[in-house]
Amino acid sequence: MTQLLQYAVGGLAAGSLYALVALGIVLLYRSSRVLNFAHGDMATLATFIAFTLLARAFPFPVAIAASLAAAAALGAAFFFVILRPARESTLLGRIVITLGFALLLSGVMQLVWGSDTQTFPFPLSDTRVYRIGEVVVSEMNLGTILAGLALMGLMYLLVQRTKVGLAMRAVAQNPAAAQALGIPARRIYALTWGLASALGGAAGVLLAPVVYLDPFMMIDPFLKGFAGAVLGGMDSMPGAVVGGFLLGVAESIFAGYVSFKFKTTLAFAVIILVLMVRPEGLLGREYHRRV
Amino acid sequence: MNIVIRLLLVAVAVAALNTAAISQPAERGVTASEIVLGTTMPMSGPAAFWGVGVSGGMEAWLRTINDAGGIHGRRLRLVVKDDAYLPPRAVANTRESVERDAVFALVSSLGTANVFAMRDYVIESRTLWITPLASTDIWAGYRSKKYLFVTYPGYIDEGIYLTRYAAENLKAQKVAVFYQNDLYGQQGLLGVKRGIAQKNLKLVGQASYEVTDAEVTAQGQKLKESGADTVVLYATPRHGALIVREMAKLGYAPTLVSSFTLLDPIMFTLAGDAWNNVYHATYIPLPGTGDAKVDAVLATLTRVNPALARNPFNAIAGVSFIEAFLEGLRRTGPNLTKDRLVTAMETIKNWDGDMIRQVSFGPDQHQGTNRLYMVKAENKQYRKLTDWYTYPRKF
Repeated sequence: MTQLLQYAVGGLAAGSLYALVALGIVLLYRSSRVLNFAHGDMATLATFIAFTLLARAFPFPVAIAASLAAAAALGAAFFFVILRPARESTLLGRIVITLGFALLLSGVMQLVWGSDTQTFPFPLSDTRVYRIGEVVVSEMNLGTILAGLALMGLMYLLVQRTKVGLAMRAVAQNPAAAQALGIPARRIYALTWGLASALGGAAGVLLAPVVYLDPFMMIDPFLKGFAGAVLGGMDSMPGAVVGGFLLGVAESIFAGYVSFKFKTTLAFAVIILVLMVRPEGLLGREYHRRV
Repeated sequence: MNIVIRLLLVAVAVAALNTAAISQPAERGVTASEIVLGTTMPMSGPAAFWGVGVSGGMEAWLRTINDAGGIHGRRLRLVVKDDAYLPPRAVANTRESVERDAVFALVSSLGTANVFAMRDYVIESRTLWITPLASTDIWAGYRSKKYLFVTYPGYIDEGIYLTRYAAENLKAQKVAVFYQNDLYGQQGLLGVKRGIAQKNLKLVGQASYEVTDAEVTAQGQKLKESGADTVVLYATPRHGALIVREMAKLGYAPTLVSSFTLLDPIMFTLAGDAWNNVYHATYIPLPGTGDAKVDAVLATLTRVNPALARNPFNAIAGVSFIEAFLEGLRRTGPNLTKDRLVTAMETIKNWDGDMIRQVSFGPDQHQGTNRLYMVKAENKQYRKLTDWYTYPRKF
């Protein structure tokens, strides 16, 4: 039983990161129906910015805040400068644009920071551990889970309890009607992109101390976050969170009891299975199209 | 009449073409002023420390040779391609090196799985291949190794040696292995299993990981549950550091024994104190252990490229891979062809370079070295523990 719990706890930390990534993906998907393949790379870029600021001896909170703000600005700029002028293109076209942006970002990061693996300094320690009964959890893991939950809680409050959040939901549901009612749709989109990018940046900053920072750090977590979003429901934000955590725990338990070799395969198998059996995901609403 | 004239014209054309062919350079990759070498290695990804260090070391060393006039008046140019440690890319890069860059020799192709994927092509193309960085055990019984020269250990042999050392000196009884799930890790695992059989130990756990895995929490737990007193590592720098930190986190402190592939102070940067007291094998003498030649090589490399100070052992290893080849080039003389180089290499007997020691080749012996010894990592220093151990040559 302890064994199972330990695997589960190990999976929770990873799951918290998948949930953060999934949340960013779903936020964008709900509002602009675009699957943002550049999400992982934008997160990595934010982490590199934080890394550079920390190397220049900026205090930790300042460096993190600045990098998240930079990520938000980059996301909003991407929307205004690239995506919005392409609004006449097909949905597939817009997705391909995000793919191109991902490659561009990856190239820029390799050019500026090199491909070397870097260690990312973090005030929480990965080796200091707390024992809950027989189960061991590191300070870093605990911090990741708590930070992830806090960010998700904040997002929930923003989206459900504020006027801005109401505007975001309105624009997501029916952009034309929302605009007709006087909601500045463009600004809301930009805000959504900025928020999603900042969420991704937070995931990157929490991941880097554990798996080391390099330009390809987020490729795997992005895929798993995407799988978590599919599992939970691509148009449900609580679903993204649930899906991310579930996937993290399932992956860890699968690796421990079944096979290490197919740990990553599990995420892909999940995507395929969910899309076959229940495409709207665990918490998503079935998609009806009005004819 | 017409036919006779046509045949005559064809004969003249063929003769003219033959003359033209003879006046082409006789050897691919060699001109009067240059020798072109090619390599493919991971310059990005989890194995980038290996690739950046080894290629950096080779390039810096070749630069000092070129600055001193080259070898018999020819400069050496190394074309490095990045394969991100992926076999398909490594194969594609190698094809490019042979067919487009027209290299004289391939050197230090990195990665057992990569080399295994490309070996049929390279051997069939009869390209000179100098020390592919793959477990030497994959060549045993393989055909036509005429143009292949290797001064690199085999992971099976190393695995046997590490396990025997652990049994004889570290009181190892229950052994677990953390290994990469490809030919590199599998060869190491096989070696450890053979060592375990030889010494009547027990294999209590084996945890594998994929090169693309970002974290190894489950593997760490699995190893802890195995209750092993000794864990052997066959991993990339990144995954080696991750698993060691994971085990430390879980409060599990077995004796750690690692392949020479993780022998570099960068592991202390990645893993911190958790890397203290790791036992390694090595096939070359190390800097800071009183060997003046080795210290001089490192000083030269870091003078030419200061960035190599971050990754020093991989850099000097790069030098060790090509030293015998450079000696072969010197012995061949100015008239350089592939076959003349092979003949010259086969005259190398008990030769000491600055890095590589006691290299011997012969007409039926293209495995140049077969020795290892043990060191222990302590606060970024490496302490020599044993004398040279010789394992059987395979080819």
